[in-house]
Amino acid sequence: MNFAMALEYQNCIDCKACEVACKEQNGVQLGADKQRIWVSQSEKSVFGQPFVALHPSQCNHCLDAPCVDVCPTGASHFAEGGLVFTDKETCILCKGCMEACPYDARFVDDKHVAVDKCTFCYDTRIVHGETTTACQATCPTKVRLFGDLDDEDSDLVQLLKQRKFYVLKEAEGTVPKLFYLLPENDDYFAMNSVSTDTTIHTWDTFKPLIEKAKAKRKPQWKSV
Amino acid sequence: MEKRLIAGLEINKISLKALLFNKTMLIAWIFLGFAVAGIVEVLHERYFLITANAWDAAAHPGSREVAEAMKAAVFGEGGEVKREAPWTLYIVNYMYMLYSGSGIIFVVSLSELLGIEMIKKTAAGFITLGLAMILAGLFTISSDLNLLHIKSLFFSTNTKAAMWLMLPLYFVYIPLILLELYLLLTKKIAFARKVALPVLLLSVLAELAEYYIQSSLFSMNEARHLWTTYPLITLYFLISSVAVSAALMILYSFLVNRKQMPDTEFRPLIRFLKKIALYCVVILGAYEATAYLFVDKKWAQIILFGDFRWYFLTYLTFAIGLPFVLLYRELGKYPLKILAAVSIIIGSYLGRLIFVYGANAYPMSDRFGVGFEKYGEYEPIQHMIFHMPSDGEIFISLGSIGVILAVYALVDMFFNVSKARGKERISVQNYALDCLMSKLK
Repeated sequence: MNFAMALEYQNCIDCKACEVACKEQNGVQLGADKQRIWVSQSEKSVFGQPFVALHPSQCNHCLDAPCVDVCPTGASHFAEGGLVFTDKETCILCKGCMEACPYDARFVDDKHVAVDKCTFCYDTRIVHGETTTACQATCPTKVRLFGDLDDEDSDLVQLLKQRKFYVLKEAEGTVPKLFYLLPENDDYFAMNSVSTDTTIHTWDTFKPLIEKAKAKRKPQWKSV
Repeated sequence: MEKRLIAGLEINKISLKALLFNKTMLIAWIFLGFAVAGIVEVLHERYFLITANAWDAAAHPGSREVAEAMKAAVFGEGGEVKREAPWTLYIVNYMYMLYSGSGIIFVVSLSELLGIEMIKKTAAGFITLGLAMILAGLFTISSDLNLLHIKSLFFSTNTKAAMWLMLPLYFVYIPLILLELYLLLTKKIAFARKVALPVLLLSVLAELAEYYIQSSLFSMNEARHLWTTYPLITLYFLISSVAVSAALMILYSFLVNRKQMPDTEFRPLIRFLKKIALYCVVILGAYEATAYLFVDKKWAQIILFGDFRWYFLTYLTFAIGLPFVLLYRELGKYPLKILAAVSIIIGSYLGRLIFVYGANAYPMSDRFGVGFEKYGEYEPIQHMIFHMPSDGEIFISLGSIGVILAVYALVDMFFNVSKARGKERISVQNYALDCLMSKLK
């Protein structure tokens, strides 16, 4: 298994139902800064026409995650399914993983005095037989699709095979697993809503990156 | 003063009152008071602040505590650690104290290896100062960590992480420093002669390993390009640390050695330390002049031309410009050398501050965008991340000065390190020459 998520980010209406569902499902500490998932707003303009791009985001569960390498106690580790987990009992709050994360996806859970982050609801839903994360299940506009990259027949891989997508900060070499889907029928708008140095991928161009990173890191995957 | 001889060490017999209430300790107590205030505040924020999650609200409907926690979640400051800037003044102070302390010991060890008499004569005092600074750095960082989980460093290890590697390093390094100090003070001449050379060599190697591991600690953070693109970061740490170490040694010599040394010994000591400081300042200046050609342009923009530019200019002025002017010319006046030393000490602290805060200044993500959600509808939009350190952090950083003074004063009271003068018996160079000659024969 190799869990990942595709995001139809243009569908996001910033209702924040996903943020609420995440907090409710996973018992995340209350507070605006204490979020495992969020919707970022980028105010941009194209030839003087302002628009707001909404980017729902969370931990990218990078296949080659730098936060795992810097952790002195192994609290930040790879779990089965290529997930990046933090063990709150062994976290010494050195905050090295927060510095190493290119996406600001980690925060300090003051209740447990340890670093917290998204788990793709693995411990609260997936192990109990659910097939969706809380954020996916609650989204009214079907922004997110959670799935297994190793299963060629899964809805996720089928979707990625049909669509173009990009990942955040690809240049950092972390091989992130949040795939932002480009709008299908509006290339002009799509290209303007991403940075000029963003690489647009297809499944065929990104799959080798996944396989390479997985081969490198899979020996470190621990069972939950 | 009555003395007791234990394991070759002459230890002063001293009353508890004299030990804890002398002139140096009184100043130390003031700073240690700040440390206590800081620790109390940090402990309160970390372990006694009421927090809540969604489950609490469901489990304890109508609870006053949960209501307070929810109020804090909405209107509070968002906890002790900010997610965009996790490393703050703790790390700045830790770096400064630890690197500078190690720098002092590096200079002393190297000087002893090279047989530089004037350093050998005052080595015990310098090493004690270095050790006190290292302990002050460790005090700072231990205040930052969650000590309730610290056992994980021993029982759940990631041996490839630079942060973990510092644990075995200090388990070797600090005993080495203590052994070095012991060799300087012991009456066991034969033993001291036998082990001095390997201990000094090991000490220098441990210093270099430390700077390498410390640089890895920063350069492993792939996303913070200020740290990953800083060229030759180990060399930068070493040079900048030795510069501030030489400045600290000048200041220490004026405060401690001046009255106890004849002028014929004191002058060459200051001249030697001045040369080290001057050479390091020149190399540091050359480094800073070229480093930002290699640093990622986003970070270089913020530091050289953005909101950090005045900090950076002040750093250059205090750590490099002013000391260079004051030290380059042999003006023969001590006050100017003291001024140069103080200037380096202050400027270098600012340099460490820019290094840590600068790497966090460029936003990693547009988490909440640049719009009203992040800054409030009526606040000006900011593009740079900067959070003032909490009162607790400031107090603990001030308290670390108390740790330096207290450790130094206690060691000095027992072993008279400030008055100890190097003796011929531990002349490492002579010993090394003896070894070499005997082998050649």
